[in-house]
Amino acid sequence: MVRKLGDNSKSVVVIGAGIAGIQAALDLGDMGIKVYLVEKEPCIGGRMAQLDKTFPTLDCSICILAPKLSECYRHPNITLYTLAEVQKIEGSAGNFTVEVLKHPRYVKEGVCTNCGDCGSICPVRGVPNFFDADLVTQSAAQIAFPAAVPPVYRINPDVCLYLNYGICGLCYQNCGADAIDFTQKEEVIPVENVGAIIVATGVDLAENIHTLNVYGYQKYDNVVTAMEFERLICASGPQQGHLKTLTDGRTPKKIAFLQCIDSRNDRTQDYCSSVCCMYTTKEAMVAYEHDNELESYVFYIDLRAGGKGFQKFLLRGAEEYNIKYIKSKISHIEVDENQSPIITYENLESAEIKQMRFDLVVLATCIIPSLSNEKIAKILGIDLDKNRFIKTDPFFPIESSVPGIYTCGCAREPMDIPRSVAEASGAAARAAELVKGG
Amino acid sequence: MSFEPKILGFLCNWCSYAGADLAGVSRVQYPPNIRVIRVMCSGRVDPAFIFKGFEVGADGVIVMGCHIGDCHYLEGNYEAEKKFAMVQKFLKLIGMDNRIRLEWVSASEGARYGAVVTEFTEHIKSLGPAPTGSDNPDQTMLTKLKAIKVAASGERMRELVGRQRKITEEENVYGEKTDMETFLKIFNSAIVEEFERAQILISLGEDRKSVKALAVELQIDPSIVLGHMTILKARGQVDFGEIVGITPMFQRI
Amino acid sequence: MAKKEKKEEEEPRIGVFICHCGSNIGGFIDCKEVAERAKKLPHVVFTQDNLYTCSETGLAAIKKGIREHNLNRVVVASCTPRTHEPLFRACIEEEGLNPYLFNFVNIRDQDTWVHQKVPDKAFIKANDVVRMGVAKAEKLEPLDKIIVDVTPTALVIGGGVAGMTAALNLSNQGFETHLVEKDNRLGGRLNGLYKLFPKDQESSELLDALKKKVENNPRLKVYTSATVKNIEGFVGNYEIEVEQGKNIIPLKIGCIIVAVGTSLFTPEGYYGYDGEKRITQSQLEVKLKSGTLNENEIVMIQCVGARIEERKYCSNVCCMTALKNALIIKEKNPNTHITILFRDLYTPGSYYEEYYRKAREKGIVFIYYNPEKAPKVEKDTIKVFNEYIGEEISIPYDLLVLSVPLVANAENKALAQMLKVPLEENGFFLEAHVKLRPMDFATDGVYLSGSAKWPVDITESITQGYAAASRASTILSHNTLEVEGATSSLPEYNKALCTGCEVCITVCPYKAISKNEDDEIVITQVLCKGCGVCGATCSNHAIVIRHFTDEQIMAEIDAFGGK
Repeated sequence: MVRKLGDNSKSVVVIGAGIAGIQAALDLGDMGIKVYLVEKEPCIGGRMAQLDKTFPTLDCSICILAPKLSECYRHPNITLYTLAEVQKIEGSAGNFTVEVLKHPRYVKEGVCTNCGDCGSICPVRGVPNFFDADLVTQSAAQIAFPAAVPPVYRINPDVCLYLNYGICGLCYQNCGADAIDFTQKEEVIPVENVGAIIVATGVDLAENIHTLNVYGYQKYDNVVTAMEFERLICASGPQQGHLKTLTDGRTPKKIAFLQCIDSRNDRTQDYCSSVCCMYTTKEAMVAYEHDNELESYVFYIDLRAGGKGFQKFLLRGAEEYNIKYIKSKISHIEVDENQSPIITYENLESAEIKQMRFDLVVLATCIIPSLSNEKIAKILGIDLDKNRFIKTDPFFPIESSVPGIYTCGCAREPMDIPRSVAEASGAAARAAELVKGG
Repeated sequence: MSFEPKILGFLCNWCSYAGADLAGVSRVQYPPNIRVIRVMCSGRVDPAFIFKGFEVGADGVIVMGCHIGDCHYLEGNYEAEKKFAMVQKFLKLIGMDNRIRLEWVSASEGARYGAVVTEFTEHIKSLGPAPTGSDNPDQTMLTKLKAIKVAASGERMRELVGRQRKITEEENVYGEKTDMETFLKIFNSAIVEEFERAQILISLGEDRKSVKALAVELQIDPSIVLGHMTILKARGQVDFGEIVGITPMFQRI
Repeated sequence: MAKKEKKEEEEPRIGVFICHCGSNIGGFIDCKEVAERAKKLPHVVFTQDNLYTCSETGLAAIKKGIREHNLNRVVVASCTPRTHEPLFRACIEEEGLNPYLFNFVNIRDQDTWVHQKVPDKAFIKANDVVRMGVAKAEKLEPLDKIIVDVTPTALVIGGGVAGMTAALNLSNQGFETHLVEKDNRLGGRLNGLYKLFPKDQESSELLDALKKKVENNPRLKVYTSATVKNIEGFVGNYEIEVEQGKNIIPLKIGCIIVAVGTSLFTPEGYYGYDGEKRITQSQLEVKLKSGTLNENEIVMIQCVGARIEERKYCSNVCCMTALKNALIIKEKNPNTHITILFRDLYTPGSYYEEYYRKAREKGIVFIYYNPEKAPKVEKDTIKVFNEYIGEEISIPYDLLVLSVPLVANAENKALAQMLKVPLEENGFFLEAHVKLRPMDFATDGVYLSGSAKWPVDITESITQGYAAASRASTILSHNTLEVEGATSSLPEYNKALCTGCEVCITVCPYKAISKNEDDEIVITQVLCKGCGVCGATCSNHAIVIRHFTDEQIMAEIDAFGGK
């Protein structure tokens, strides 16, 4: 479809370019409304880009996301600012002025051909890649993943030798396209006549704020988080999807998936992350597809599967993918001499205390609000709820506490992809009302 | 010099072409024998494209699309699967069905794309040159391949493929449903019949031939050839030419 | 294959540009030589190699080539069309060429990058694919974008919370909107509810506020006791008949939103349901609303008629409904004993999980039951096997409340047929893509929201109402709708070939193909997405897939063979 810019004088600023922010931007852009999409990371796509497959259809995440990424990148009505943040707003609903701070990439967009010559010559090594859950390291000239949008490298100023010590500059010499530009500076971009703002800051994960030592994470190498597991089973991940343990490279034959890690819990987060029962089942299915001898055990409190086709998905998991669901409470985890985790748990159906040995344990860690929420809330003047999600009302689910500022997706509550996409469209509809002056 | 097969690939734009690009970005190395034709959907691959590929000298043809369920166009890859099944059945008649492949490769499967292409190339290498390929192709085989192309491009086969899902999944106006087994029976006999009919048409060419002569030439039972003639006559593709003695001679229209 | 009456066309004059991409291509193969060899191909009148064809310098070189050599086709051999085709198309368009007269050849991502150890073979491959690309380019035809008018008017079917929200938003965006409700009043399921979780506010408060806004909106026309009788047309251009009493009201509509909601399952034959002592949650709400609840020993059973063989799904809202009603009762009379027998308590997210905690704090008893050992209902007691203590326990009751699922409306089937959209196995409407197009149907111009799609609570009904409105607005906001020209078509010169067999209609996933009154095949261009399946299936090769025509692909295959 080809879209024209309508004669709306007002624009919309969308903060966060995960699947929710992207959808909101695309809908608005397609309505002929000018959108400024602001993303703090060097690339767009957010959490969804990191996923291998998605429930309940098991389709490949990047396959269905990539067309949206490039649509967003190319859309005539969408201006994308990566490595950028909103630093100040003024005005009120219908007429905000927004100041965007854009950090230097040190690589020129539109010139970089994504060939990777800078990355291979860069002498800095061992920089963990957040995209691969830190399981893989890069150089200082980096790109999160091969199909990243924008398809442009970035020089990481925290570790670059030239930017820190004024030595090196090899990438500059090696780049045939002359795309490296060490003279780039921070840039403040004022955006005026903004009708509405949509906050789609998404999520972080419990492991970002907590050591999870209770569950043996970081203590035992064969205890991994769900996000790490996601990357390990991903065809484009660090093991090309051929799952191996991180200790001795064995192919795990028995995996435990522990639910509600740091959620539904008095000590940490008391809420439910909403998506773990489903993605756990998906992860066990994907792992089974790689190895039909695999046994998976899901240790859960309640199996929460209310979405369309979700119950059938769980049934399929049990019937076709060798997944056993155990209603239980985890007591503790230890390891044997081979580093194989042993789980002690209480079976809530039989009230027995039992032990089981596994090759790998996967923790379904709690989804927490984006760590940037507090800062952004302060800048925008919006309220957060007690869990630091953006505060909304059940019957005004898209409205923040400030008129003209809307929110959607996991910025306000943990939710799955279909719901995030729906809410994003919903936020776009509300913003459109304001822009069109209704 | 070792045999370097010529391989033709049809890749759907959204998944497998993206997967092939990802193989590049990830510098996955695979044999340089494949030449790719990009189509929007694997369902766009007309069976004739595959036969044509062999006609012009391919040693192997591979079609790649999105995984079942992931199709950018909802169900184009199901359609690709059905067409491919027909192509396979036809090529089996001349022993070339092991030279084609249908694979699902997603946009994230760069390494898999490389592996699939490597494996297929090795497989074709092990088979040696296609009888229809190389600089000196087997003319009999080429004629048979042409007959297959004609048969597969005919209305009957294309309608059967196009209607398969409707026939096997929906009830007709009388509330009857054809089960897969019955459908396959019809389908399989159609493959053989249409191949024979196409061979008859090609053999006739500009000539006039009797049923008996055709039966001997094509090694098909005369009564079956006669049956085909009746159908081809009804379709308006052949007619009696002259009668030599008591033997009617047929010719193409 | 069809003979085409070619209109008088100028001789193809092809220009070929070979990109070095720095050393990414040029470092492995001799790009100059690839360009030299391309010069010998039929219709090629100009070739050039560039360090970066995508750079400003490279683009200027293409433009200069077009000008100086009067090129009417351009081929670029470089990285991949997936990222760079739009750039080059725009470039030749700026120089006055139709953007479809461009062809991309991939010699980086699928050549030099993947055959680094055998550069001589990568070189041969590059020449081969350039030859194939030139062969296709020779056959390329200019295509126009297809434009249709859009009526900036929306029809919302169903006046529940989702439908009202969608209709309000669209009219606030400035679109004339028609809201059709089959009942004699707006509100849908909100009418039957007492209070709403998780705020325990009266349902009428929300409903009245919404109704007021709907009724006061000048651009929003409401038809109650009305149904949609007939739907003709396609995106941007629907002709609708609404039946209200004896009147038939004709409407011209651009987009349609389906928000017909859902129905409640009646638990006949389950747990001694009698509508008096053993009732549904909905019947309990009537009692609560009228203040006629006197019972003190209340037991609730969850998943009655849900998550079973014939109805596998979880209905999403029943756990919260049970918690809500239990809390209301406890609030009024803290001494009431309430026990909830559940399988998995469904309170996802932060708001609902907090509500569940509150219920536990208020002394509501939760007992897990295994569906294989379902509770047994006797006259005044319920026997349930308590897995935790390993024995059967008896719970006395004077009121048994069954939580039943929401089920699809029986009328969905007729509406789905009218709209030519699919239903899923439980009778709910089926969206285009579970994740990325949750509000869309595969057919453009028709959208979906609320419980018509799947049982959802009020919060989600509201967000989905807005969401469907947003999707509709992406169409309605424009006077015209433009779509890419690379679609399928049944050209005039091929019409005689069409046998009317309808296989194209069968295989088209977007319902873009139909038969008109004269029994002729018509392809609605705006609905076509150009997948090409119809063309590959057409029993008599009548359909042409533009930009990927049989002729173009056959030319590529010929060139593959070296011809």
